[in-house]
Amino acid sequence: MSVKYIPVQWNLNKYFYDFVLLVCVAIYILVFIRIGTPDAGVTRPIDGAIIRMRAFGTCAFLMLTVILCIGPLARLDRRFLPLLYNRRHFGVLTFLVALTHVVYVLNWYYAFSDISPIVGLLTTGETSGQLLGFPFEWFGMLALVILAILAFTSHDFWLAFLSAPVWKRLHLLIYVAYAAAVAHFALGYLQDATNPFFMIVAGGGAIMVSVLHLAAGLKAPDDQARDRKGEWIEVGDPAVIPDGRAIIVRIKGNERAAIFRNGDALSAVSNACAHQNGPLGEGRIIDGCITCPWHGFQYRPEDGCAPAPFTEKIPTYDLKLEGGRLLIAAKAHPPGTPVDPLTMTEREA
Amino acid sequence: MSNALITIIQVYGALGGLVAIAFLFWGVDRIAPDARGAYVFRPLLIPGVVLLWPLVLWRWQVLERERDVAQRRHKPPRRSQDVFAATLALAIPIILVVALLIRQQGPFEWPAREIEQASTEEASQ
Repeated sequence: MSVKYIPVQWNLNKYFYDFVLLVCVAIYILVFIRIGTPDAGVTRPIDGAIIRMRAFGTCAFLMLTVILCIGPLARLDRRFLPLLYNRRHFGVLTFLVALTHVVYVLNWYYAFSDISPIVGLLTTGETSGQLLGFPFEWFGMLALVILAILAFTSHDFWLAFLSAPVWKRLHLLIYVAYAAAVAHFALGYLQDATNPFFMIVAGGGAIMVSVLHLAAGLKAPDDQARDRKGEWIEVGDPAVIPDGRAIIVRIKGNERAAIFRNGDALSAVSNACAHQNGPLGEGRIIDGCITCPWHGFQYRPEDGCAPAPFTEKIPTYDLKLEGGRLLIAAKAHPPGTPVDPLTMTEREA
Repeated sequence: MSNALITIIQVYGALGGLVAIAFLFWGVDRIAPDARGAYVFRPLLIPGVVLLWPLVLWRWQVLERERDVAQRRHKPPRRSQDVFAATLALAIPIILVVALLIRQQGPFEWPAREIEQASTEEASQ
């Protein structure tokens, strides 16, 4: 959260998350090298340097696969939300693992020459005019550049500076990076591999990414499309809103509001968290504050302001009751505007 | 071709370095209240500014001229994300199938033989 920026924001949950992540990566690399080493040697086609670069390359690919699965999994089942919490650290570690892979590649395939390794890498396969033999390294470079951009803009400063929608648009490049990584793997490692194990694991993982994204896309939206004509939008019976929770209402286009119930009080705020545009309406009220399900950012229901000393604000909406039916204003107030909560007892009035 | 590309990258990086110096020593304090008095995190921003300096300059001038629309910060690019996700979901199986179709059957590498042994075998034939 805001107040003053520090290099890395850690807490107990993030320490645990990062520790598990590092242990998993270390185990994977060690096991891969351990299993692969007996086949390696100076008289074998695959030597130790290649085993190590493959260990880091395949690890980065699998990490990227897991990262891409987290979003749709959390959308399909809330139990996966904790994985989303620290996904940016996961992404930065993936970039570092991928970078290690590239360093091994440059120091092996492009070393021992007067030509700069980078020039060597860029000129790889320049003469290729067909898919077979296409320089798969180019796809890897594209994926690495994108991962670098995403890793270098992962600090909260970038979210506030670029604004969450611009930051999210930039980070949609993760999809391009993954497509490039799949092409890099499919036109490189897959063409040469004789052991089907990793082909099945990596190919299966990629297909899983594909299926999960289709499933999440087909899942019915959790918002409630309403009659959007006029200044007020009818929501329905307010009693259906569970205490401490919200319902999400689509206002217009991609604008959504979350109507929270806190005891007898009803308040409406923007559904997009000021931090990363997380779905506030899927969160709940904790200690009297609306709490984002993604990273725990909090806002007071009555004015959309984060409790002091934090400074984030979200837009608020007017609510009213007519004949027992709840209505929400079609136009939002500027972020941080106080709006008196609507009490459920007014329903009988 | 590659050398020209590297020259372009170097020029782009050098301009990014200049923007990074101006932004981190001067601009960031003007447009980011939470960055005032916070210096330790700033080196972490350097690679991002160098890579994305045109975007940094654009946002810098938007915030400097107070042209940032607060309401827009709460409109996530939901539709773009759906398009990207659906495109990726379709691209993955296509890439894998094409790669499997063009895959050649091995053996890709002949097993290594000791030179002396090979010479002996050839001599005996």
